[in-house]
Amino acid sequence: MQTLIYGSYVLIWPALTLGVLALICRAVWRDMRAADADERDLV
Amino acid sequence: MNDPDFYQFSTLTVLLLLAAFYGGTYLLTLTIRKPQEDTDAYMVSNHRIGFGMGAASMTATWIWAASFYAAATSGYTYGVSGPLHYGLWGALMILFIYPFGRRFRKLAPNAHTLGELIHARHGASSQLILALSNILGSVISLMVNFTAAGALVAVLSPLSFQAGVIIAGVGVLGYTLWSGFRASVLTDFAQLVALMAIAIVIIPAVLFAMGGPGAMVAGLDNLTAEQSNLFSMTAILEQGAPFFVAVLAYAIGNQTISQRLFAVNENHIKPTFITATVGYGAIVIGLGMIGLMALTLGMEPMNGDMNNLIPQMVSSYLPPVFIGLFFILVIGSLSSTADSDLSALSAIMMADVYGKNIARGKADPKRMLLIGRLTMVVATMVGIVFASFSLDILVMLVFVGALWGAIVFPVIASCFWDRVTNAAFTTSVLVAMGLFCVARFELVPLAGTAGLFFEVLASIGGGIIIALMVFGFCGRRLGAIAGVLAGLAMLVFATGFLRDYTVLLASLTAYGASTLVCTLMSLASPQRFDFDSIRQRVGDYDDHQATDERPAPGGAAPAFAEQY
Repeated sequence: MQTLIYGSYVLIWPALTLGVLALICRAVWRDMRAADADERDLV
Repeated sequence: MNDPDFYQFSTLTVLLLLAAFYGGTYLLTLTIRKPQEDTDAYMVSNHRIGFGMGAASMTATWIWAASFYAAATSGYTYGVSGPLHYGLWGALMILFIYPFGRRFRKLAPNAHTLGELIHARHGASSQLILALSNILGSVISLMVNFTAAGALVAVLSPLSFQAGVIIAGVGVLGYTLWSGFRASVLTDFAQLVALMAIAIVIIPAVLFAMGGPGAMVAGLDNLTAEQSNLFSMTAILEQGAPFFVAVLAYAIGNQTISQRLFAVNENHIKPTFITATVGYGAIVIGLGMIGLMALTLGMEPMNGDMNNLIPQMVSSYLPPVFIGLFFILVIGSLSSTADSDLSALSAIMMADVYGKNIARGKADPKRMLLIGRLTMVVATMVGIVFASFSLDILVMLVFVGALWGAIVFPVIASCFWDRVTNAAFTTSVLVAMGLFCVARFELVPLAGTAGLFFEVLASIGGGIIIALMVFGFCGRRLGAIAGVLAGLAMLVFATGFLRDYTVLLASLTAYGASTLVCTLMSLASPQRFDFDSIRQRVGDYDDHQATDERPAPGGAAPAFAEQY
């Protein structure tokens, strides 16, 4: 049980990072499409 | 500096890695380069940066090289709770600023720096205090990041510390100089993707290479009772509490954050900053776990230097390709912060110093752009020189931290309370700095009445921190209640106790003294300020009427030159 708890305690952070990375990449893709549609610069 | 116990890259390999990183980043910026850059865009892009780019940029900027080393050190020193006490409070610095950021944006939708807003609210003296604190903070940050680059290169290759510092400085300047903030934001995204991908791989790789969670549990005997405790009081008092005190101060005192608050699409400020909070926390706490793993293994940091912990773990358990990934991880994190610091410094010199105090309403956009670029060159040189000579910046750090603490209440109050005056702002900051020095350097013995005096001030400071945090999310009434309760609790529990923790006492004193003086002086003033006038006084420097599709959130302010 302790092994599971400590394993989860360490591995939850890269898992969260993966989730945020996916969210950001998806959002940037949408930013690019919105910028194209509005004919303006992305940044 | 070279240590044979670390895996060593050849000079050629390191130079190729650095050339690939900085060359690739430079090529990326060519995709957005314009022959004639727009002055406003050089400072804050188009005020319409989307959620994805904004969140990526905020996260990458806030993660600097020291984040990994310090989080790992915290994990190694304080055990199970250590990484949390470093990463969580750092993450909350991003979260707690956004409610205030929305107010800043509402008051001055076309601002480039927080200093411009304060200039419109109070005038030059308050603005320059804020600008000075921002400049010192960014110069320190630049120096620390270049130092990290030098140390990394020296540890992992035959190249010298100075070579690493110079390559990082020139590399960052090279890709940021022409397009400024736009280049910083674009490259932040690419750097963050690399950084996150590497963190996702490297943390489990180290864990399983050392034997998995089972080996970690088997090594728990190496931890003291305090280190095994998730609610360790030692970790809270020595690591968590000083960071908690700094949550609002770091965010207010940092132009890199303000710049993004003014650059992101106004409707996306909240999701942008919440995502950056989670992203920062996950990466930094995760890498801090490597320090905890080292502790459970009973590993001693090489030469007693805690900064060696992560490279040592990676070197000991992973093949060379992971060391290359770690190298890119650190270079990416320090470069994304350094380019943001360069952009922040250039915006302060362009808008706060030249625009508001030298040109005084007759700013020439081309000259501003030149000033911005020259600022970047000078700042890089200063950063390289400071880093190369390994100057002791402890005193500077102490004063900047105090200055940031002292300005928190006056800045926030100035944006919500129409009675705050320029005299109240300036005097409160100066008094707070003076009292901070007395407490921090124990210029009077912190015993008896003097000790009690500072503990009362610090309790007010503790109360005001809680009050401002709750106020940001829950409004004035709940903020006041929480602040009073926190202040009373501090008076009960801190009296006779806090004087033994002078760093914490002095930091809280800065908050308490500035709040007290600013409030009393404002109450004594009959003046009332019209907040709507800020929008009229802070505008764009370029004239976008003819060519730009840029919206002005909440209504366009005419070009700055037309205002005066």
